[in-house]
Amino acid sequence: MLRRPTQPTGKAQAEAVAAFPSVDTDVRPRLSGWRRQQLAGWLFLVPAIAYLLFTFALPIVYNVMLGFERTSPATIGNFTAPFAGIDNYRFVFNDPSSRDAIVRTFEFTFGSLLGQFVIGFALALLFSLRFPGRTIARSLVIVPWLLPLIVTGVIFKFMFQAEGGAVNQLLMNVGVVDHRIQWLNDPHLAFWTILMANIWLGIPFFTLLLYSALQDVPVEVREAAVIDGAGPWQRLRLIIVPIILPVIEVTLLLGFVFTVKVFDLVVGLTGGGPANSTQLITTWSYNLSFGQNGTFGEGAALNNVLLVLALICSPLYLLLSRGSLRRSRGADG
Amino acid sequence: MSRRQRSRALRWLSTLAAVVALVVILFPVYAIVVGSFESTATLFSGTFYWLPHAATLDNYRTVFQIGSAGAQSTVSGSETKDVLTSLIVGLGTVFLALVVAVPAAYALSKYRLRVTLVIVSSLLVAQIVPSIVLATSLFIVFNWIHLVNTYPALILADGTYAIPFAILVLRAFFFSLPNELMYAARVDGATEWQTFRLIVIPLARSAVITVALFAFLAGWGDFIFALTILNGAGIEPITLGIYTYLGNYSTDWGAVMASAAIAMIPAGVTLAVAQRYIATGLTAGSVKG
Repeated sequence: MLRRPTQPTGKAQAEAVAAFPSVDTDVRPRLSGWRRQQLAGWLFLVPAIAYLLFTFALPIVYNVMLGFERTSPATIGNFTAPFAGIDNYRFVFNDPSSRDAIVRTFEFTFGSLLGQFVIGFALALLFSLRFPGRTIARSLVIVPWLLPLIVTGVIFKFMFQAEGGAVNQLLMNVGVVDHRIQWLNDPHLAFWTILMANIWLGIPFFTLLLYSALQDVPVEVREAAVIDGAGPWQRLRLIIVPIILPVIEVTLLLGFVFTVKVFDLVVGLTGGGPANSTQLITTWSYNLSFGQNGTFGEGAALNNVLLVLALICSPLYLLLSRGSLRRSRGADG
Repeated sequence: MSRRQRSRALRWLSTLAAVVALVVILFPVYAIVVGSFESTATLFSGTFYWLPHAATLDNYRTVFQIGSAGAQSTVSGSETKDVLTSLIVGLGTVFLALVVAVPAAYALSKYRLRVTLVIVSSLLVAQIVPSIVLATSLFIVFNWIHLVNTYPALILADGTYAIPFAILVLRAFFFSLPNELMYAARVDGATEWQTFRLIVIPLARSAVITVALFAFLAGWGDFIFALTILNGAGIEPITLGIYTYLGNYSTDWGAVMASAAIAMIPAGVTLAVAQRYIATGLTAGSVKG
């Protein structure tokens, strides 16, 4: 499709074209307008294509290869390691820690989505009401989302310490409990702690997306429902939710994708402990790859499980984003 | 109750609910700021003080290594250097994201290219790919080409947070520019590059600011690539510094608090001066992009 112009273009012509604004349009190179624009479009895209190939395509392909390799600290300096067949996958699905991490990732993800959606939707509804200070309230909700994730991990670690943590302090001051709860030292509670931290983290995203969807519900529709005698609950269930359903779907889908890849938060908060009770696929894969054994192959196999989990969503995401995909009409038409 | 009274009651109830929600949402941030001004003794006393108790700047002196304050920091490593490193990484990510994304978004919105659909789909999928997958592979690739522990490697990796998002947001913005602008420029004899540089970029300022802010926050806040690609030696951004202070066995809370508070500064500044750009980006990038 891309062909160079057959006629040589004179240097003088090229210089004349470079001058802006060019008055004399006759001195352009003999490249038809359409070809010229195609060429320019491609040139504008070159950096992005190169970047995507190097930082997305290459690592993904390489990760798939790595999943079939027998790696050790000795092989890390090389680009490839001996072929291992499906040993790494066999390991990942038989190793209790890896299996636990996979199951836990699901629990963590669905727990997070449930909490984030309920709280986020409640706040979105709240912010749609008129009350003094709602603009500032809405802007402050973004805070958790702006912070570096490792900082969020640290904040929750500080708050949930057994000794001197704000949460235990509050519960004891109010009189709900009479002893310090071992939030981070009890394997069962530690999972709930990372779940709470992640829900906190996801509230801004859910609130803002659902809020902006609620703004798009036509006022007339709501008023008509009121006139027809629908109560608040009926209005929500029968009018508002169906209208904003597409946004709810996208939000949950993206929430799923964001949650299965949570890493920093858990590393900062529990480091996967105690006794690996908060290891997710991401943190456990990191341990396998970057631990003392340098078993990058096993880590990559687990990564690929995660990748499949995340990419399962992509057809659905593309379907939901089809509006943006269809808009490809350019200015050169 | 009259209708008017009821709507007033509802208004105050809403305000109250919003205040409660905000206290819960903002308390963690408050706790860390207060904690960063507490003395080591207070932090280890086993009691949390709701208001600053015997406020001191010792933690900040420790992390910035200003004199030898009373705090007993066991970890050495100046946070001043970490902050500089994070600034370089953040600005580098902004530069990379803009250089790659602005022309690409323009091409994907204003030129009719055969690859548009493929590239836009790839970008949507790229946003889904977990960073740990990229980090593991990129570490070995960078190791192989001797780029581990360098700024370019980290910035290239951090671009993966920013670039797909940036292209999609900018593309959505470019759709809002009338095509007549480009026609007019072409009729006036402008080259494609001149049209892009002199007409399109100046008009895209607000979208570019949004994208730049996101890229900066992504580069500044990145931990996963810093942990893997920097491999714990040499260059240390602030996120990695916090992790170091966190330690494996005992946590140096004073230093952690102060570093965490410093790491929150860009978020605070963004919220104070550029909040509208962030809110736009958050919604534009994920639904309308």
